[in-house]
Amino acid sequence: MDYVIHLFILINIYIILTTSTNLLVGTVNMLSLGQAAFYGIGAYLSVLALLSFNWPLFPSLLFAMVGTGLISFLISYPSIRLKGDYFVLATLGFQLIVYTILYNWVSVTRGPYGITGIPSPKLFGSIEIAGLWPFLILSTVLTIMVVVIFYNLIHSPFGRALRGVRDDELSMKALGKNVNRLKIYTFAISSAFIAVSGFLYATYVSYIDPTSFNLDESIFILSALIVGGLGNIRGPVIGALFVIILPEALRFMGLPDNVAANLRQIIYGLALILLMRYRPQGIAGTYAIK
Amino acid sequence: METDILTIQALTKSFSRKIMNSDGGEDDEQYWIIKDLFLNVPRGKVIALIGGNGAGKTTLFNIISGFVKPDSGSIIFKGDGCESELLKMQPHLIAQMGLGRMFQDNHIFGEMSVLDNMLIANSLNSSENPVSALLFKKRLKRDEVKRTEKTAQIFDTFFGKESPFWEKRYVPAGTLSYGQQRLLGLARLFMREYQLLLLDEPSSGVNPEVIEQIKVLIRRFTEQNQTVLLIEHNLDVVQDIADFCCYMDQGRITLMGTPADVIGNEDVRKSYVGF
Amino acid sequence: MIWQFIVNGIITGMIYGVVALGFALVYNTTRIFHIAYAAIYMVAPYLLMFSMQSLGLPLFVSILLAVLGTILIGYAVDILIYSPLAKRNSSSNVIMVSSIGAMIIIINVVAIIFGNETKIVNPGVSQSITIGKILVTYTQVFQFVTALFLFLLFFIFLKFSRFGIITRAYRDDEKLASVLGTNIPAIKRLLFILSSAFAAVGSCLIAYDVGMNPYVGMPMLLNAVVALIIGGVGRFEAPVLGGVLIGVLQSLVVYFSSARWQDAVTFLLLILFLLLRPQGILGEKMRTV
Repeated sequence: MDYVIHLFILINIYIILTTSTNLLVGTVNMLSLGQAAFYGIGAYLSVLALLSFNWPLFPSLLFAMVGTGLISFLISYPSIRLKGDYFVLATLGFQLIVYTILYNWVSVTRGPYGITGIPSPKLFGSIEIAGLWPFLILSTVLTIMVVVIFYNLIHSPFGRALRGVRDDELSMKALGKNVNRLKIYTFAISSAFIAVSGFLYATYVSYIDPTSFNLDESIFILSALIVGGLGNIRGPVIGALFVIILPEALRFMGLPDNVAANLRQIIYGLALILLMRYRPQGIAGTYAIK
Repeated sequence: METDILTIQALTKSFSRKIMNSDGGEDDEQYWIIKDLFLNVPRGKVIALIGGNGAGKTTLFNIISGFVKPDSGSIIFKGDGCESELLKMQPHLIAQMGLGRMFQDNHIFGEMSVLDNMLIANSLNSSENPVSALLFKKRLKRDEVKRTEKTAQIFDTFFGKESPFWEKRYVPAGTLSYGQQRLLGLARLFMREYQLLLLDEPSSGVNPEVIEQIKVLIRRFTEQNQTVLLIEHNLDVVQDIADFCCYMDQGRITLMGTPADVIGNEDVRKSYVGF
Repeated sequence: MIWQFIVNGIITGMIYGVVALGFALVYNTTRIFHIAYAAIYMVAPYLLMFSMQSLGLPLFVSILLAVLGTILIGYAVDILIYSPLAKRNSSSNVIMVSSIGAMIIIINVVAIIFGNETKIVNPGVSQSITIGKILVTYTQVFQFVTALFLFLLFFIFLKFSRFGIITRAYRDDEKLASVLGTNIPAIKRLLFILSSAFAAVGSCLIAYDVGMNPYVGMPMLLNAVVALIIGGVGRFEAPVLGGVLIGVLQSLVVYFSSARWQDAVTFLLLILFLLLRPQGILGEKMRTV
């Protein structure tokens, strides 16, 4: 039973990751390889607030979100003018630089040694969130909030404008829309909410190190989103469910652990190839990658 | 002239490209698509721009609307009272100042519904941000309802109560027929009061019935003192609705006058009209 | 002693150049962002090891087999994944995601068969010679000579053979080249073959020195991509130039600071070029809009 709760917490964390990434990759169609970098920045900023500043839950969370959102400007502002492949490369470069900094700036981030003893966040300064059930409640509440927020964003004039950018950027400019500004907003929102997952991960596991936030993780989050589906709310949720439950299903089938990890990856790879060929909008999405 | 809405002077645009020469090496070739172009566009009229393929007409539109930067020249746009040099401005700002554009290949939002295509055309930039989406939902909703009524009006006025547009308003615009998409692209431009409209071959590829509807729509613009610059190959359309006509050849406007004059001109007949 | 580092950097850079050239052969012409190249690169030394240790074949034959095997795998990726997508005019993002999928599959199949750990091909320290004050190992000499030989062969081929001229035409304008009557699908297949071959050679050269594991592909691909961007997308000399530059740069970072900042500097260079000079050092200025 404990294990099931643990899985649910993970599912929540990944729903937030995929839903946030969806706004950028699904709705506006800006393929990015930098999700894990923001995930990591969110986690480390949360730790800064909780451990160094000793702040309670919501101020720390807000700090992580705002900080990550602001840092996203560093990459979004210069790179949104880049076309197609070059934009993806820029996000890739950003991901790698962030990882290298997190790994090597040992004096600040403790590098590969990681940071242990992350304190449990204190709600309103006094109610400590520690243990499985409190984290389940916290993560579920946050997940629901994030999903509701993104639902409203997608179904608003803002969301429609983003779909317009995806559909025909030229027309949008000819209609007087500031496409660059829309893209930068999307980047900032997406990364700010990815930071929520960073917060949850850091506080739940109470230990972080850079290897959880590398390029492989970016690809993993992207794959989860693509498999589940892009452009709507269902898709990312299904994608998160898929990537968390699949390994458990494999384990159930009695596969030895050392092969299971590789086999799982093979299934993801196969899923990506088959989906791109036959169903590029994913299992439950409304938009295909363009 | 004081009544001109657009004054173009000494516009020049060249492209360079690599071509392979006979030794298998590469050379740079430069060609001028627009060379020393002058044009004054009088306000409130329909001005047709005709000329052979590759004469530079679409490039001219791209430069005016800000998507392509020329080598040199000046384009002054006299909006409501103020004068702006368009060449310094980005395309979306030019559009915000009142310059509307219809492209040669439709460029409507195929994945969006017909209604969304209309609504997005005049939704305020100030509504299209995440904060409004979360905090001012009621106000945005009311605004959308008003503009949906405006859409209904436009469809009514131009396409009649029997037209399929209102019925199909929730259908993705990409599923409309080519002619209907063309009309949608034009109808969209009525959601805002543009001052100058650049229409690139609006009648190409559509059947005569749709052409008639397009002609009506275009003349409608001028009833509100809007100016229309029109690229057209269909000379019947030009003669029917244009007040003025310009002939463009080898990168410059060589002739401007009434449609009858220009189309009847001997040089134009020889090199363009064909008879 | 900075020259020792520079020489080391040049030699490593030459191998980067080989690998980058292999990537450029596909990207410059077909515009496919061939991420699966990372996996194709990684496979070669495993095939070499399998041939020598499990099949007991001599070195030369094994090298041939390794290269052939790598070519086959690259060919399979093209036929099974890229060609079907190209037929439906899929966008480059869709192709890139599929490429990532292919890479993931190949890497993990290798990991299941051969294990995740690093394998050393050549235990022991290589002998070395001294030129002036600079020390170079036999391995390094071998690497340098092989890479140089490959480059010379390739560029002579590119300039003077019919295939080379057609490739350059293809690179400039695919539609034009096909209209001129060249057999584009055949050229494409040939380019993939060459690309995989270059990856195989580069990979074996490196693996002979430092060993291999299933995950070496991505870091090397990244170096290749940075080399391509820095050099410039367009002419085939560019990735070679970029590769050597990166090799020297990384070496100098080790000399002046520490090995752990190598990657950061490389990727910083990538971002700088992407933002300030996306056409690279040798590239042509690109038209926007």
